[in-house]
Amino acid sequence: MVQYSYFPGCNLKTNAKGFEKSALAVSKQLDAELVEMPNWNCCGTVHTLASDNLMKRIAPTRILSRSSKHVEILENSPKEVVTLCSMCNSTLKVVNKDIKNDESKLEPINFQLEVDEEEYQKDMEVKHFLEILRDSVGYEKIEKSVKKPLKGLKVFCYYGCMLLHPDEAKIDDEEMPAVLEDLSESLGAEIIFSPLFKHCCGSYHIVDQEDIVNTQVQKIIQSAKQNGANAVVVACPLCAYNLDAQQKSMEKQGLDKELLPIFYFTQLMAIAMGEASNINHFEEHHINPEKLLKKLKLI
Amino acid sequence: MSYGYIKIGSEEKAFIAKVEEISGQNVYSCYQCGKCSAGCAFSYKMDKTVNQFIHLIQLGQKERTLDANTHWICASCFTCTVRCPREIDVAALMEAVREISLRENPEKVRIADLPKESLEKLPNIALVSNFRKKTG
Ligand code: SF4
Ligand code: SF4
Repeated sequence: MVQYSYFPGCNLKTNAKGFEKSALAVSKQLDAELVEMPNWNCCGTVHTLASDNLMKRIAPTRILSRSSKHVEILENSPKEVVTLCSMCNSTLKVVNKDIKNDESKLEPINFQLEVDEEEYQKDMEVKHFLEILRDSVGYEKIEKSVKKPLKGLKVFCYYGCMLLHPDEAKIDDEEMPAVLEDLSESLGAEIIFSPLFKHCCGSYHIVDQEDIVNTQVQKIIQSAKQNGANAVVVACPLCAYNLDAQQKSMEKQGLDKELLPIFYFTQLMAIAMGEASNINHFEEHHINPEKLLKKLKLI
Repeated sequence: MSYGYIKIGSEEKAFIAKVEEISGQNVYSCYQCGKCSAGCAFSYKMDKTVNQFIHLIQLGQKERTLDANTHWICASCFTCTVRCPREIDVAALMEAVREISLRENPEKVRIADLPKESLEKLPNIALVSNFRKKTG
C-alpha cells in the first residue's frame, strides 16, 4: 500500500464531486490511496505568465509546502502531491519548476509563508493521478481489477490543453498522447480517435464570451460523433462543464439532438471496477450518462 | 490593403521593453512564420491573427496592439507556445499585453455586472481563472 498526499482543488468539492469520490474509491482498490492533505487553499487555477508577479505564485507554493509536511505522516508516501484536476496540476507543476529554478522568486515567497511558520524546501514533485496510474500502478494491475469490462462504450479521449501544455506541465507527448487511451482500453472500452483531442474548449471564456465556447464545443463533439464515439472521457472539471452544459444548451436551442455523455476517467474506472454507481454523482451531470450505461448493461 | 505611417520612437521602444519585461521574451525572436496563428483554435475570432499581433508589438504600436481583440480572445491554451519554432512563449506575450491593459484599466470583466444566475451555476474554476485573466 502506498499513500499519496492528495490536493483536491475547489471544483472537486463542488460540481465535480463524482470525479473525487470515484477517484478515492478506485485509488484504494489499487493500493495507491489518495489521502486529502489538510488545510489546502485554491491554487489560483491558472499560473501567471507575468514574470513580475510573485503574489500569484504564493498560493501554489503554500500548497507544496503543506503537502510536504503531510507526506511525513503518510504510509510509504513519495514526496509527491497528487491532483485530479488538470488545471491544478498544470498550475502547481509550472510554479514548482519556476521557483525551484529561481531562488530570487522563492525567497520573497518563503518570507510570506513565514507568517504561518512555513517554508517551501523545494522537495516536492507534482503528479496528476493519471501519471500515478500509468507509472506507479500500471495498466496491468488495472486490467486485473476490472470486474465489468466496458463493452460497447466507444470513448473519445479528450485531453484539452492543460494535460499537455505547456512543456513544464505536460504528462504525455503533446502531439501524440496515449495515457487516456491506454487507460480506457485496459478498462475494456473501445477507443475512438478524433483530431480535435486537444482543441481548446474555450475554457474560462464561458463566463463572459459564451459564444466562443459554444463554437468550440460544437466542433469537438461533432468530430467525435463523426468518428463513431458514444461517450467522451476527460480529466478536467472545466472541460467537463463546458462540453456537458453547452451540449445541453444546444439541445435546448434545437441545434443538436444526439448528445454525448461526458465521463471523468475515474468514473469509468469505478464502473469497470465494480464500485457502487452512486459515488459517480451522475445526477449532477447535465447529460445523464446512465441512459447509455443502462443500454450497454453496465449498470 | 492600406498603408500607414509608423513611427518607432521612445514611446514605441518603451512599449516593446515593457512587453519583454513582463513576458520575459524577446519579441524580435519571432520571424513571422505564422505557425502560431495556424494552430490557434481561435484565429477565426481574432481581428489580428497571432503573428500579426506580434508584428504590431515588434513595431511598438501600443495603441493598435491594445485595440486588437487578439489578447482577449486568447484562452491561454499554450498550443502556440509549444509549437513555436523560435521557442517563444507566445502565450506569455498575450498575457503581457493583457497585463499592460489591466494595469491601466483593471476591469475587462466587471464582476458586478455578471448575472447572479451565472455566478451561481458556473464552476468556481471558470470564475477564478476568468477573473485572474480579465481583472487587474
Ligand atoms: S510561431 Fe513563433 S516565430 Fe512563428 S510567427 Fe508565431 S511567434 Fe513568430
Ligand atoms: S495560447 Fe492563446 S494565442 Fe496561443 S494558441 Fe492558445 S488561444 Fe491561441
